[in-house]
Amino acid sequence: MEITIENLERYYGDRRVLYIEKMEIEKGKITAITGPNGCGKTTLLNIIAGLDREFSGVIKYDGKYLNRETVDKMTIVFQKPYLFRRTVFENIEYPLRIRGINKVNRKPLVVDLAKGLEIENLMGKKAHLLSGGESQKVALARALVFKPELLLLDEPTSNIDPDAINTLEREILKFNKETECTVLIVTHNMEQAKRLGNRIIELSYN
Amino acid sequence: MDYITQGFKEAIKLLISLDKEVFKIVSLSILVSTSATVFASLISIPLGVYFGIKRFKGKRMFSRITYTMMSVPSVVVGLVVAIILSRRGPFGQFDLLYTKKAMIIAQTLLVMPLVFGLTYGLAKSRGDIIERVAFTLGANKFHTVTLIIRELKIDILVNIATAFSRAISEVGAVMIVGGNIKGYTRVITTTISMMNSMGDYPMAIALGLVLILISFVIHSIIYSYSQED
Repeated sequence: MEITIENLERYYGDRRVLYIEKMEIEKGKITAITGPNGCGKTTLLNIIAGLDREFSGVIKYDGKYLNRETVDKMTIVFQKPYLFRRTVFENIEYPLRIRGINKVNRKPLVVDLAKGLEIENLMGKKAHLLSGGESQKVALARALVFKPELLLLDEPTSNIDPDAINTLEREILKFNKETECTVLIVTHNMEQAKRLGNRIIELSYN
Repeated sequence: MDYITQGFKEAIKLLISLDKEVFKIVSLSILVSTSATVFASLISIPLGVYFGIKRFKGKRMFSRITYTMMSVPSVVVGLVVAIILSRRGPFGQFDLLYTKKAMIIAQTLLVMPLVFGLTYGLAKSRGDIIERVAFTLGANKFHTVTLIIRELKIDILVNIATAFSRAISEVGAVMIVGGNIKGYTRVITTTISMMNSMGDYPMAIALGLVLILISFVIHSIIYSYSQED
C-alpha cells in the first residue's frame, strides 16, 4: 500500500506537534522514521492508522482516502502492546476469527508465525502474564497473521532483550520480503533504522 | 433484649426446618431479582460499552444524567411502573399489576440504569485501549463491543452482582407493583417490612439472614472466579 501525505498538521491546543508538507511512503518497502522525542513520530503513525482524526491535510492510501476497506488491510503494533486476557493462541488468531476464517484454516497460520517468532511453546499461556519481549512477539504475530498490506510499528523493540530484537527484526524483514507489505517503523535507534529501512525519514520539531 | 435472642433462635429453627413459607418467599425473591438482573444486563451491558467508547457531543452531560439515573429511588420506579400498568394506564389491558411479571418489570427498570452506568463508566475508563487495538486489527463495532465485554468480564460480573444485590434488597418497587400478596407476590424484603410492623421478628430475622447469605454466596462465587482468572 502506498501512502501519500500532503500538508499534514496536528495541533494539541495551540501547539503544533506535527507538520509534514509532503511525504510519500513507498509501496512494498520498509520506511524507518526517526527523530527526537516529541517530534510527532507516534502522532504520525496514529494518524496514518486512523486512530487520530483530529488533523488537517490529506492522507491517501493507494490514492484513496481512509475507508473501511483500507482499515482492514493495515495494522499497528504499539510500543506497549495490549494483549487480550486470553491465551497466546487466541490472541494471534483473533484477526483471522473476526474475518470469518474457519478454525481449521486458522491454526496452521498461527502456528507458522509462532514458530518464526519462537513463541510456539507459549501458545497455551495467558497472554497478559507474559514478559515484555514475549508480549511484543505475540503482538507482532497477531499483527502479521492476517497479512496486512500496511504494517505500522511504533518502537516495537524498545525495552526488550537483544535476542528478542533480533527475532523481531528477522521476522519483519522476512514478512516484508514474502508479502511485499509496506512497513513504516518508528524507532529511536538509528542502527535499527539502517538495518531495517530501505529508506530513512528524519522528523524534526514542527 | 430477650426478644432479639428469641427471634434469632426461632429464625434458625425456621431455616433448619425448611419452612414452606420461607422457602416460597425466598424462591420468588430469587426468581424475580434474577430475571430482572438478566434482562437488565442483556440490554444495558452492550449499550453501556457502546456509549462508553463512543465519542459524541454532549458526552459529559450524558455521563451526569447516566450517573444520576443510577441512584433513582426504587419507590419512584415502582410508582411509575404502577401508573403505567394500572387499569387506566397505557398497559392496563395486560392486567399485569400485582403480578410477578410486574415485579420483574419494575426491578428490571430499577437496575437497568445501574448496570448501564457501571458498564458505561468501566468502558469509558478502560475500554479505550481495547477499542484502539480492536480497530487496528480490523474489528467492526460489534466485534469491538463483544471484545470489550470479554476483556472486562470480571468487572462486569461484579457490576451484575451489584445490580442483583440492589434488586433483591429493594422493597419500594416490589411493594408498590407486587402488593405483597401472600403466596403470590410476597418476597423477602416486603415480608421483612410487614413482619417488622407486626412485631413478628423470627420470620423477619430468618429472611434477613437468607438475604445476607444470598449476597455472600454470589460475591464469593465472583471472587473465586476472578482469582482463577
